[in-house]
Amino acid sequence: MANNNDNMNFDHVIVKEPSIGQRMYKYRWFYLMFLPVAVVLAIFFYWPMFGIRYAWSTYKLKQITMRTGPDYSIGWGNFQRLLTSDPFHSAFKNTIILSFFNLVFATVLTVVVALLINEISHAWGKKIVQTVLYLPHFLSWVVAASIFMLILSAGTDATGADTSNMGFVNAILYNIGIIDKPLDFLTESKCWRGVWYIMNRWKETGWGTIIYLAALSGISPDLYEAAEIDGANRFKQTIYITLPSLMNTILVVFILNLAKIMNIFESVFVLYNSLVYDVSDVIQTYVYRVGIVGNDYGYSTAIGLFKSVVSLVLVSASDIISKKVRGYGIV
Amino acid sequence: MKKKFNLFHPQYAARSWFVLFNTIFFIALMIIMIVPIFKIFCDSMVNQTVYGLNLLPRGVDPETKEVIWFNTIAYKRIITDPQLYHPFLVSIYTTLLTTFLGLLISTLGAYVLIQRDMPGVKFFGYALLFTMIFNAGLIPTFLVMKKVGLLDSIWAVIVPTSMNVYNLVLMRSFFEGIPASLFEAAEIDGCTPMGIFVKIVLPLSKAALASIGLFFAVAAWSEYFHYVIYIKSSDKYNFQYKLRDLFQDKQDASEGTRINTNTLKSAAVIVSIVPFMFIYPFCQKYFMTGVTMGAVKE
Repeated sequence: MANNNDNMNFDHVIVKEPSIGQRMYKYRWFYLMFLPVAVVLAIFFYWPMFGIRYAWSTYKLKQITMRTGPDYSIGWGNFQRLLTSDPFHSAFKNTIILSFFNLVFATVLTVVVALLINEISHAWGKKIVQTVLYLPHFLSWVVAASIFMLILSAGTDATGADTSNMGFVNAILYNIGIIDKPLDFLTESKCWRGVWYIMNRWKETGWGTIIYLAALSGISPDLYEAAEIDGANRFKQTIYITLPSLMNTILVVFILNLAKIMNIFESVFVLYNSLVYDVSDVIQTYVYRVGIVGNDYGYSTAIGLFKSVVSLVLVSASDIISKKVRGYGIV
Repeated sequence: MKKKFNLFHPQYAARSWFVLFNTIFFIALMIIMIVPIFKIFCDSMVNQTVYGLNLLPRGVDPETKEVIWFNTIAYKRIITDPQLYHPFLVSIYTTLLTTFLGLLISTLGAYVLIQRDMPGVKFFGYALLFTMIFNAGLIPTFLVMKKVGLLDSIWAVIVPTSMNVYNLVLMRSFFEGIPASLFEAAEIDGCTPMGIFVKIVLPLSKAALASIGLFFAVAAWSEYFHYVIYIKSSDKYNFQYKLRDLFQDKQDASEGTRINTNTLKSAAVIVSIVPFMFIYPFCQKYFMTGVTMGAVKE
């Protein structure tokens, strides 16, 4: 541009787009700033992707200690083994059942509680309710499970009807007369899932309401005023105004959680035990036991890969649904 | 809006009954939320096997038959036994480190991602997002950790927790709210990119830093599973791990003392939530900012 200084008419001057090299030079400091992020991303997230090839190998601790490396001669053997293995079927089934019912309970309970919180007109009361309801969310799964183990305990001596040793819940049930001897909820296949759902709802229901409360505060008051003039009572207003306005948020939250249903792990891991594997073992916990405890890296990578692929399909499906419902995707 | 509370006046009755039931419902719900924690708190201060229905921090000494309120023997044990207080210190310093590193990574990453004209920025964005939807899995990650020599190192826990793509994306949406004219003005005044970051972006995002910092702190404090897979030496375990150990009865920490096992377990649960209880009332609004911000953006 310096050459054009003698010409006062700039109309014909074409401003040259800076070349990619020039632009990169301009942003040189930003590349430096991104470096730490890129390094962490490369080592902890992308390097492991090369390990996916172990899914087609037999790779055990033995091969690592003897430095022979994985043996790829089995081809799709791990996947064949997986599809015919009973523990895997049970883990897959449990993952779907636990996640799905939890998702349904979560949606219903959270929406109902959010609607009711929204009806509290007393500002301070509302604040106190919210503070208390959000609280359990911040406890770790270990703490939540520990609390449940203590209050559900059957006592050290589970045979006799000695109320003094029972945990809180057993003591209540015993004193009301519902049970005549303490029930060990966490080692009983019939009760375990119920306890898990309750623990999840106890911990997360309050926190889940935030997103709905934000959506509720966005509904125009004009709509309610108009409805009131038309003679609609509060219940009718809820059915015809509030719920339809919330429908979009409900769907979005549902879709987002649907994409995550294969990921349940820590909440199960801290609560389950070998006596209830039939109802509680999920894919991630099974991978942990086969891979980390059993050191069978090849087979457990195959299980993990299966899980990741199913997850990817679910995310893509959710993304497509999301685009249909609200015009843009989830990622 | 009609606000009069009268259960029998025809005009107000329906609403009033609803308000009454709603109030009762929430009082009940709050009790359900609090009772488990309160019960553990009481049990932690009662040093005896009898603990069924008791909902008071009051116990009877089995020998002297003396009534004791607020028996703190289990807490004294926790703060004097190195096996129990050392994991607590580990928890504190890993939490501080993770929060710092997490904020560093998210702010740097987010600041780079808002540079729309930067060559390759879209690629960086997709590379980050892809890790959210596809993950190599537990075992390949474990084997990489083994290869790079991070097994049994505290960094194997801290670094992956600090790199949270969701928090980074959240941070980016906060940064996107900063008017671009501010950046341009600073650039014209000769401010370097790093200068803009430190002097403009960070001071304007205090709420975001507080909110995302708290997310990192809570995640780091609750960290448990990474310790299970990566850490082998007992002096590197955090308090969550220790707590879990107590509950799995791998070793009885109350052995050789007059402390009841359940009292000690309860006290350990309370100790692990106490630091949070202190900051929660003051920080609640920051937690909520983060969530609603994410919800709007999503």
